[in-house]
Amino acid sequence: MKLYVPHVGHFEGLEELLNCSDNIYAVYMAGSPDYIGTGRTNLSAPKLDEIAEQTEYAHSKGVKMEIVLNSSCMGGQQLTPEGYRAIDWYFDKLNTIGIDSITVADPYIVEMLAKDYDMDVVVSVLSFVDTPQKAEFYEQLGATTIVVDPAVNRHFDKLEAIRDTVSCKLKLLVNEACLYQCPFRYAHFNFFSHANGPGPKPNVLDDYYYYKCLSLRIKDPQQIIKSPWIRPEDLKEYKHITDTFKIGGRTHFVNWILNNVEAYANERYDGNLMDLLDSIKDLKDTFYIPNSELDGAIEQWKKCDKVCHKCGYCKRLAEKVIYRYSGSGDEIRKIPLGPVGDRK
Amino acid sequence: MSMTQELLKARTSLENNLRELLGIPVFLIEMDAFALPCGCGGVTINTRGLQLDDLEIFEEHILKHLTDTVTSLEIEPSFLFARLIPGTAEVASINARMLCSSCYMDFGRGSGKQPRPDIYIMRFDRRE
Repeated sequence: MKLYVPHVGHFEGLEELLNCSDNIYAVYMAGSPDYIGTGRTNLSAPKLDEIAEQTEYAHSKGVKMEIVLNSSCMGGQQLTPEGYRAIDWYFDKLNTIGIDSITVADPYIVEMLAKDYDMDVVVSVLSFVDTPQKAEFYEQLGATTIVVDPAVNRHFDKLEAIRDTVSCKLKLLVNEACLYQCPFRYAHFNFFSHANGPGPKPNVLDDYYYYKCLSLRIKDPQQIIKSPWIRPEDLKEYKHITDTFKIGGRTHFVNWILNNVEAYANERYDGNLMDLLDSIKDLKDTFYIPNSELDGAIEQWKKCDKVCHKCGYCKRLAEKVIYRYSGSGDEIRKIPLGPVGDRK
Repeated sequence: MSMTQELLKARTSLENNLRELLGIPVFLIEMDAFALPCGCGGVTINTRGLQLDDLEIFEEHILKHLTDTVTSLEIEPSFLFARLIPGTAEVASINARMLCSSCYMDFGRGSGKQPRPDIYIMRFDRRE
């Protein structure tokens, strides 16, 4: 199994990560936001010499280095002569450094990378590849690997169709935990792309989409169950699709990342599922979901037609397995969630 | 004195001390007391005009002023850190946090002053 693991972006973090686990096949981190930016929050803006130092270190440990430059919107700058030249210059430098792969979202950049450089071209989840047709298009543009949109992580028919259609590699993101069929998905990533890109950066105080996302889950916790995460124990169900899995979470502490690495490497986690989920970490002190109680749920999801109002499986499961925390610190109590769905 | 009055006084005093020390117009635009569901508590002080360089060069002195401030608010000064605006050297906030056992592990397992590129630790007392 090949685990792609998030890295916060500075040397100390990488050192700690690679010294504490032998289960890492590759690490990925953001590059400089001055050229392309990323569709997620960046905690660092490593310069080329820092990227070079970290890449050399990762390679010395037998670990591959991937740079993520997956803005979902660049305002068309990439298509201008100036934009093209800047990106071309940056790719050239990364290529010289010896970066193994670059993750990008824009089809134009996929094609550009595939044509002119030696680095593997990874199509980001932010390209939203959720059908065999889209996968085929990206493969023809030059993709070496496609990270499938997690929205179809529980649509095995689509995953299998994608696998059968393309010959490039596939990668599955296991713990993103965005809302299933999230209405904010495109707008949220476009916002991040501008906030973490070359600029002009929006002067935004709060992230509407994130707060709304948390609020929806607090009001209706079955949404946490419906999120298309993949439990460590269920990786075996995906091995006929791929052997390559990506852990999300490059804004978290190394401790959190390592906990995920161990869980997914061992394909087992005894604890709160919320510990593993990336985008809703702020709710880990709100809900307790004993991971072991989700054993077998994958069997339902494998045959699920995703017509929730008729099925109700995730709602019933949420009522059974989710606990709500009350109190704080040492005085914390777990209260069973009980009936959900009628809250206004 | 009420908690609000304590905070008002502490904010002004710390701001004056930093301005005097650094000789630049540092602003402490907001000082908040917080309590998190995990069990962490403390204060966060939003700053403008402070740079990572300032912290590194004057760390010993800043640490003293910050320690005095949080001690006056009856907050243990065992974990003091700055939050940087990601990808820059701008200090967004300085913080005193009484860590719960779970969050302690996030920091306790690591080493060095920057466990994440946006966090600069000024003081971290390890537990036995």
